[in-house]
Amino acid sequence: MAQNQRPASILDTLGEEIVRIITPVSICMLMVVILVSILSLDDSSSSSAMPTIATIAYSETGSDSSWDKFMGALLNSLVFVAVVTAVTFILVLLFYLRCTNFLKIYLGFSAFVVLAFMGGEIALFLFEKFSFPIDCVTFLVILYNFAVVGVLAVFISKMAILVTQAYLVVIGMLVAYWFTLLPEWTTWVLLVAMALYDLAAVLLPVGPLRLLVELAISRDEDIPALVYEARPVAHHDSGSRDGVVRRRVWSERRNVLHDSGGDVNSNAILSGNAGSNLNSGVVLSVASGHNDTRLAGAEEGRVVEANAELSAPLIDRRMNDNMHRQEEDGTSENLLLEGIGLGSTGAIKLGLGDFIFYSVLVGRAAMYDFMTVYACYLAIVAGLGVTLMLLAFYQKALPALPVSIMLGVLFYLLTRLLLEVFVVQCSMNLVMF
Amino acid sequence: MTVAAGIGYALIALGPSLSLFVAVISKKPFLILTVLSSTLLWLISLIVLSGIWRAFLPLKSTTWWPFALLIISSVGFQEGLRVLFWKVYKRLEDTLDAFADRVGKPRLFLTDKMQIALAGGLGHGVAHAVFFCLSLLTPAFGPATFYVDRCPQMPFFLISAIIALAFVTIHTFSMVIAFNGYAEGNTTDQYFVPVVHLVAGMVVKSAFARCFCLLSQKFSLLRILFLIVLKNCQLSPETALVVFVWLNVLCHACSF
Repeated sequence: MAQNQRPASILDTLGEEIVRIITPVSICMLMVVILVSILSLDDSSSSSAMPTIATIAYSETGSDSSWDKFMGALLNSLVFVAVVTAVTFILVLLFYLRCTNFLKIYLGFSAFVVLAFMGGEIALFLFEKFSFPIDCVTFLVILYNFAVVGVLAVFISKMAILVTQAYLVVIGMLVAYWFTLLPEWTTWVLLVAMALYDLAAVLLPVGPLRLLVELAISRDEDIPALVYEARPVAHHDSGSRDGVVRRRVWSERRNVLHDSGGDVNSNAILSGNAGSNLNSGVVLSVASGHNDTRLAGAEEGRVVEANAELSAPLIDRRMNDNMHRQEEDGTSENLLLEGIGLGSTGAIKLGLGDFIFYSVLVGRAAMYDFMTVYACYLAIVAGLGVTLMLLAFYQKALPALPVSIMLGVLFYLLTRLLLEVFVVQCSMNLVMF
Repeated sequence: MTVAAGIGYALIALGPSLSLFVAVISKKPFLILTVLSSTLLWLISLIVLSGIWRAFLPLKSTTWWPFALLIISSVGFQEGLRVLFWKVYKRLEDTLDAFADRVGKPRLFLTDKMQIALAGGLGHGVAHAVFFCLSLLTPAFGPATFYVDRCPQMPFFLISAIIALAFVTIHTFSMVIAFNGYAEGNTTDQYFVPVVHLVAGMVVKSAFARCFCLLSQKFSLLRILFLIVLKNCQLSPETALVVFVWLNVLCHACSF
C-alpha cells in the first residue's frame, strides 16, 4: 500500500492507551452478557435467592408493589454501602499500620476463593446446561490448577502480562455474574449507591479511598490490590509498531515531567497519548485499590459476606514530586516501580471494581433485552472516555464509577421506556432510516 | 430459526462493516474511538427522536402520511447532526494538527481525513444495524420465525438484515462524501447526501407490497452511491472490492 512510503502520521498511535483499556472492559462485559444470556432461564427462580449481604434487609418478591420494592432496595443498598465503607476503613487502618503482608495474603486468598468456588459453581451450571460429560476428579484437578495459577498471576509481577490480564478479567467476570443474581431493583439501586459512594470516598477529605491513596503516595508504596494494568504503549524510537513492551527507565522520563505539565492542558482530548518518545502525554494512572472479596463461602451456604470494592480513583502521577525519588531506587523491587500507576511504563491502570460494576450494569441490562445492552455499553464506554478526559483536565484523583454508572442507568431507562417502543414500531412497519 | 440462522442474519447486516473494521479501522486506535463516539451520537439522536415521537406511537398503519412525517423529521434531524459532526470534526482537526506540529510529525494527510470520515460513517451505520436489526434478532435464535404484514414473502429478520446492510453502506459512504463536500465547498455533494438518505428511507416505506422491487431499487441506488464514492475517494482497492462484491451478490440474490 502507498502508505508504507509515507512517514507515520499521528493517527497511527493516537488514543492507543485508551483503546487498550477499553478492550478488556469490553471483553469482560461481553463475557458477562454471554453468561447471563446462557444461564438465566427464568427470572422468577432467581429472586428466591441466596441470602447475601446485599439482600439482608429485604428480599424482593415478585408480588410487592413498586414503592415497596424501591424502599427495600434502598435499605439493601444502604446496608451494603455501610458494610463496604466499614471494610474500607479497616483496610486503611491496616495499611496505615503497615500490615502489607497480611493484606497481600488476604488478596491472594480472596482471588483463590473467587476463582475456585465462584468459578467452579459457574462451571457446574454450564456443565448442567450443556450436559457436558466430565467426572469429579478431572474437574477438581483442572479447577484447582486454574485457581492456583490465577493466584500466582495476581501475586507475582513477573508473570506474562497477558496471563495476568486474562485472569483479572476472569475474576471480574465471575464476581460480576454473581452480582447479577441479585434481585432487579436491588441491583439498580445498589449500582447508583456504589457510584455515589465512590464519588464521596474519593473526593471528600474524609473519604477512605482518598486517605488510602494519600497514604500510599506519601510512602511511595503499592497498595496491595487487584488492579488491571494495560500493556504499555510502544514508542516510536523503538521503530516497531506492534506493541513491543519496553519498560522505560525512570530517569528517561524525569526530565520531561516538568515540561509536559503545560502540554497536557491544551491537549485535553489527547489524554494518554504517547506521541513522542519523550512521552509528553499524560501519565494516567487509573489506580484503584480494589477488591476485597471475602467469601465465607461454602457453596451450599453461599453467603457473600462482604464485597468491599475500592473503586478507581484516577490519579495523575505527573504532578507528584515523590516520583523523583523513585529513580534512585532504580532496579529496586517491582513492587515500588509498579505502584499506583507509577507506570514506569506509563500504562493506564484500572481497578477491578470498575470492571465488575460496569459488567453488572450491562449484565442486568442483558436480562431485559439486547437493545439495552448496546445502549448501556456505549454509555459506559463514553463515561470512561469522559472520566479520562476529566482526569487530564483536573489532574487529581478521580473516581471512575460515577460518570459511567450514571450514564449507563440513564441510557437504560431511556432505552427501555422510549427507544424500544419506537424502534420496534418503526421496524414492524418497515420504516427505517 | 436456529442459532445458525440468527448468526447468519447478524452477519448479513454487519458483514461488510466487520471487514471494513478489521481491515481499516482496527489498525488505528483513533479510528476505533471515532467509531465509538459516532455510534454514541447516532444513538443519542435516535433517543431524542423517540422521545419526541413517543407520544404519537403506535401509529395507525393504514395511512401513510404519519410515516412520511416520521421519516422526514428523522432524516432531517440526522442530517442536521451530520453538520454538527462536521463542525466538531473541524475543531478536532485543528487540535490534531497543532499536536502534530508540537511533536514533530506530519499533519493529517488527505487519506487520514477520509479515514476519520469513514470511521464516523461506519459508526452511524453500525449503530443503525445494531438498533434496527440486531437488537430485534433475539427471537431469531429460537425455533421459529416471524413475518410482517407489509412483506409476507420473506421472514422479517431477513428483510431487516438486508435493509440494515444497505443502510450501513449508505451511512458509511455518505459521511465520506459529505465531509469531502463540506471541505471542498462542493454543493452537489453536500446536497446529494441528505437526498439519498431521504430517498432511501422513503423507498423502504413506499414499496411495501413489492418486496423484491424495493430491494433491487435500493441496491441500484447503492451502486450509484458507491460509484460516486469510488470516483471521489481513494479507498484501498481491497476494501472497495470486498464491499462492492458483497453488494452485487446480494443484489442478484434478492432480485432473482
